[in-house]
Amino acid sequence: MKKSAFKKIEPYIWMLPSIILMVTMIAVPVFTVFKLSVSDISRSGVVKGFSGLENFQSIFASAKFWHTLQNTLVWTVVVVGMSTLLGFIIAMVLNQNFACRKIVRAIVVFPWATSLIIQSIVWKYIITADFGSLNVILKKLGIISRNINWTPNAAAYFAWECWIGIFVTIPFVTFCVLSGLQSIDDTYYEAADIDGASFWQKLYRITLPLLRPNLTVSTVLNIIYVFNSFPIIWTITKGDPADKTHTLATYLYKLAFTNGRMGQAAAVSVVGFVILCFCAGIYMILSLRAEKEEQ
Amino acid sequence: MKKILAMTLAVSMVLGLTACGGSGSSSSTETTAAATEAATEAATEAAAETETEAAAEATGDKVPLNVIISQYGNNTQEWWDGVFVPGFAEAHPEVDLTVEIVSWNDLYTVVANRITNNDAPDILNIDTFADYVADDLLMPAEDYTSDELKAKIIPSFWNANELDGTVWALPILASVRSLFYNKDILEAAGVENPPTTWDEVKDACAKIKAYNPDITPWSLDVSSDEGQAAFGYYTWNNGGGFVDESGNWALNSDANVESLNFIKEMVDAGYCFADPMNATRYPQQDAFNAGSLAMMIGPCNMISADSDVNYGVAPMPTNGGNSPVAFGVCDRLMAFKDDSAPDQDARTAAISAFFDYFYDQEVYSEYMVYEGFLPVTSDSSEYLPENAEKFNKCEANGGTPGENDYFATWCGMLADCDFYPASRAEWIDVKQGVIDAEQQVLEGADAKEVLDALQEDIAG
Repeated sequence: MKKSAFKKIEPYIWMLPSIILMVTMIAVPVFTVFKLSVSDISRSGVVKGFSGLENFQSIFASAKFWHTLQNTLVWTVVVVGMSTLLGFIIAMVLNQNFACRKIVRAIVVFPWATSLIIQSIVWKYIITADFGSLNVILKKLGIISRNINWTPNAAAYFAWECWIGIFVTIPFVTFCVLSGLQSIDDTYYEAADIDGASFWQKLYRITLPLLRPNLTVSTVLNIIYVFNSFPIIWTITKGDPADKTHTLATYLYKLAFTNGRMGQAAAVSVVGFVILCFCAGIYMILSLRAEKEEQ
Repeated sequence: MKKILAMTLAVSMVLGLTACGGSGSSSSTETTAAATEAATEAATEAAAETETEAAAEATGDKVPLNVIISQYGNNTQEWWDGVFVPGFAEAHPEVDLTVEIVSWNDLYTVVANRITNNDAPDILNIDTFADYVADDLLMPAEDYTSDELKAKIIPSFWNANELDGTVWALPILASVRSLFYNKDILEAAGVENPPTTWDEVKDACAKIKAYNPDITPWSLDVSSDEGQAAFGYYTWNNGGGFVDESGNWALNSDANVESLNFIKEMVDAGYCFADPMNATRYPQQDAFNAGSLAMMIGPCNMISADSDVNYGVAPMPTNGGNSPVAFGVCDRLMAFKDDSAPDQDARTAAISAFFDYFYDQEVYSEYMVYEGFLPVTSDSSEYLPENAEKFNKCEANGGTPGENDYFATWCGMLADCDFYPASRAEWIDVKQGVIDAEQQVLEGADAKEVLDALQEDIAG
């Protein structure tokens, strides 16, 4: 009886250190953000008291917030979607036997291993119309005679930011998928070859089902990372022009530390948090359901 | 039950990843909150330490004085650590001075966090003060400014820090902006004199563009870094500006609308860098110093030590027959209240000592030469045009002796400058608003509509 009771609580004992760490280092600060989101905070940073949902009303009444939310969804879907697709293809290529495979794998890691700030600055210098290296190279090669403005408007800037986001996210997906590919037993493919399966049949019937756990993990983690990503957009445009390239992370930063509206910034942060909880919740429910089906 | 467990796990995952994810600032408010918690603990400890120091103070120990100074250049820290702090410590052994240099990028974040955690500095160097006055955080300047110091601060700078009849801050330094032009480029392009009107600006730009398409004729920065300055350059010299003659916000005046349309015209004609909404002043200064930009409205200290550009300085070009208005920038020093200080008199005396020492003619003049800014005190304004050579510029500015002519020229222009209405409580919103308006107009919006909306937002 005693042994059975211990078995019941044993997992929780093992989880306890993590729970304590999360409560003290994460839950408490997040609770503080929730508190700030319903507080009246002056521009200088003085908390003046409870303000109810005033901060939320203010941000919901702002067209900039809705534009930013739309940007955030586009940014997340495009970056996660494209990096997953391209990362998957690169992983398939890297899983083949060819000369210098190890060197190529190391090169693929570079964008991931470099600081996002550094990469963003480098890309900014590449695409800048007047001083950028892209125009310089194209001119030296004789392809263009005058500088091209690669960022003529907000949409173009945002597209470049999405591309940089994809570029830096690809390695993570690649290595998640590659680890999954290497764990798939060759005998499945050999059996399929004997049965005369085509490349696409093997891809859809063997590779993708067996890679599902890896792809799920990389996608969910990427959604959270990309949704919250700050350095690329802040370094390239700071949300300009006219606040048209913000995502929630940069928008709340500007609200807090440029406009001095800490309460509204906390409210934006809460909105982002709720959206992420919703996404992660769906993932968890689906995962548990899948586990149940497997059992 | 499993759904509840799933949701709990999901929330835990999001909490973990939002707090640790992606970047240092990816969840800045959470990060701030974490910093807040940490700082609260630190503040509690600091309060305990303050009490200890209070006890020590009673037995004759030093008065702590914490100062935040903005970073004006790469060598700001060196001057404060190497020159000011040791000199002050020798002159005032009763004060335990700590000077923290903070970059402008981080300044507002650092100060807001410290105020939120009841850990405001004793003295702060920043550009605005109205929000601190609104929260009753500042000491009136009269409380700590000695009669001698007040007498030597140039009256227009002293009065510029007045709000509701009280002066709340002291000017720390000033800078004047005017039109810099590359003499060689203008001459080669057939432009005889620097432009004095907007029409002449367009004419000169067209000639420069025709002479050499690789040279950018005109500089424009409407980025979030300093777009409000461009608004000032053009509206003030077109008879408009931020406020009207009565001091009321007048952001949507006809002159301002015309000014924004002029900015757009210049960009559309290809006379400026391709992306003025993101190209800040600094790369444009570099371009001028390298000889690839022909004309630029910039600060008095924008010419780098290693530049060999043959340049001249001219008044701002105007429109509609208005007289040129020089553009002045002035930052401030202010003292915060600290009700927890055990000996208020000793604290106020330490603050006064700091200011008296800083504005001492020799010390202050040395700092002005070092950073390349202009003095706001009458004694240094008279002293530097004849004695700047006694002091050295900072390493980033060449480390060479100061130039008397530089101060003679620019100090003379200070008296006629217009400044931002930065003492107004709405200034932060106005500043962001005019930048936003400029960018919207460059993106194709109607200048009149954009400025009407801004005026409505600010003045109601």
